[in-house]
Amino acid sequence: MTDVSIRGLTKHFGKVQAVTDLSFEVPSGRVTGFLGPNGAGKTTTLRMALGLIRPTSGEALIGGRHYADLDRPRQVVGALLEATGFHPGRRGRDHLRVLAQAAGVPAQRVEEVLNLVELTDSADRRVGGYSLGMRQRLGLASALLGDPRVLILDEPANGLDPAGISWLRGLLRELAAQGRAVVISSHVLSEVEQTADAIVIIHEGRLRYSGPLDGLDGESLESAFLTLTGAK
Amino acid sequence: MNEILKLRTTRTPLFLLAAAQLVVIAGVSGLFVSGADLADPLTPLRAIAHAGLVSIFSLVLGIIAVAGEYRHKTITDTYLGTPRRGRVVLAKLGVYAIVGVVFGLVSAAVATGATALWMNGKGGTFDFGDPDLWSTVAGCVVWNACFAAIGVGIGALIRNLVAAVAAALAWIALIEGIVGQLLGDLGRWLPFRSGQALEDVPFPGIDLLPQWGGAIVLTAYAAIFALVAVSTTVRRDVS
Repeated sequence: MTDVSIRGLTKHFGKVQAVTDLSFEVPSGRVTGFLGPNGAGKTTTLRMALGLIRPTSGEALIGGRHYADLDRPRQVVGALLEATGFHPGRRGRDHLRVLAQAAGVPAQRVEEVLNLVELTDSADRRVGGYSLGMRQRLGLASALLGDPRVLILDEPANGLDPAGISWLRGLLRELAAQGRAVVISSHVLSEVEQTADAIVIIHEGRLRYSGPLDGLDGESLESAFLTLTGAK
Repeated sequence: MNEILKLRTTRTPLFLLAAAQLVVIAGVSGLFVSGADLADPLTPLRAIAHAGLVSIFSLVLGIIAVAGEYRHKTITDTYLGTPRRGRVVLAKLGVYAIVGVVFGLVSAAVATGATALWMNGKGGTFDFGDPDLWSTVAGCVVWNACFAAIGVGIGALIRNLVAAVAAALAWIALIEGIVGQLLGDLGRWLPFRSGQALEDVPFPGIDLLPQWGGAIVLTAYAAIFALVAVSTTVRRDVS
């Protein structure tokens, strides 16, 4: 039973309070939508969960452990972050080979994830020539490389075309059905509504809602979101 | 040995290596075109010493190893795969010192070959058995190795690729000369001067450490930069 537990997480950047005393749970076997307006602290929270940003206080646990203490982190958590980058001169397949080697994942798995994200035909091109959608697929392939039990995906639908978004929705549902914990942050509420089982909404770094999608008092997600984030 | 795979899957190292060889050939040729004294036993050494001067390229390669990862944001994936960041820097130090040796060996081979061609072509003699020659070759290789490792430390410390490369080149082209004058005798301990000491070729008017002293001082610089980086900037948030 691996899940993500955010406990009293707080982060100050200088005088700016990016995240304040944030607590919520991400259960296994579900897709959890992590929502909030721009600047709400979503990316900061996800980066703290992954050990990239040091919390001012509080902690983020994955299966009860800090990310940095995981023995084989990529086999436990797969992450797609907005600012994850690629060397433009490196071929798509080579990018994955580098990550696979660091993670101790067999090279054959690289071909599997390339197939899974439907990028095999472009795998020998340099990433500098990839479209936004192709980069996004490569990022998803990176996240899936270690066959992780937890997936943390920041705006995974970014840059995907309608067919890609539909494909992604099916993939995320399937991954959750296999018993994995899947967290997706997104701005596209209609998309989240079709994909997520549970919702976490934050605003100005504080928790506004955490619970099932159908627990929003019969309101539509958009209506509830706008009310909770003070836009309405 | 993840760093080797990273290195092999981009073209930057080969471009830098090729550029260094052009500089070596141009530098050696320049010495002979401008009428070097073929009878002076130091002439071939001064020519081969260009293989040491191009350790600037090894330095830049080392800087790119870390600051380039921050620039392209691949550092996120690197730290996700290896959350103990000190290990990442340590691995880069080791791998890039070896890569610096390779750069140094290639440059020294090209410099020695070019020097032999020019000496013989100009009617002089080139003695491959001269132990002083091999001492200079060895020094050039070590200089490249040390500068690649120092580059890793500088890249980790500054993290901004443009700033790190600019700072390193400004130090070599301008600042070390000024600081050296201010320090007087102590100027021997500065990085570029320590590299020159490694070449084991006397420079008129420049006071240098012994060859082994240059090696120790440069190794110490690499260790200090890396150690300071690991305990400061490398720990900072990656966002």
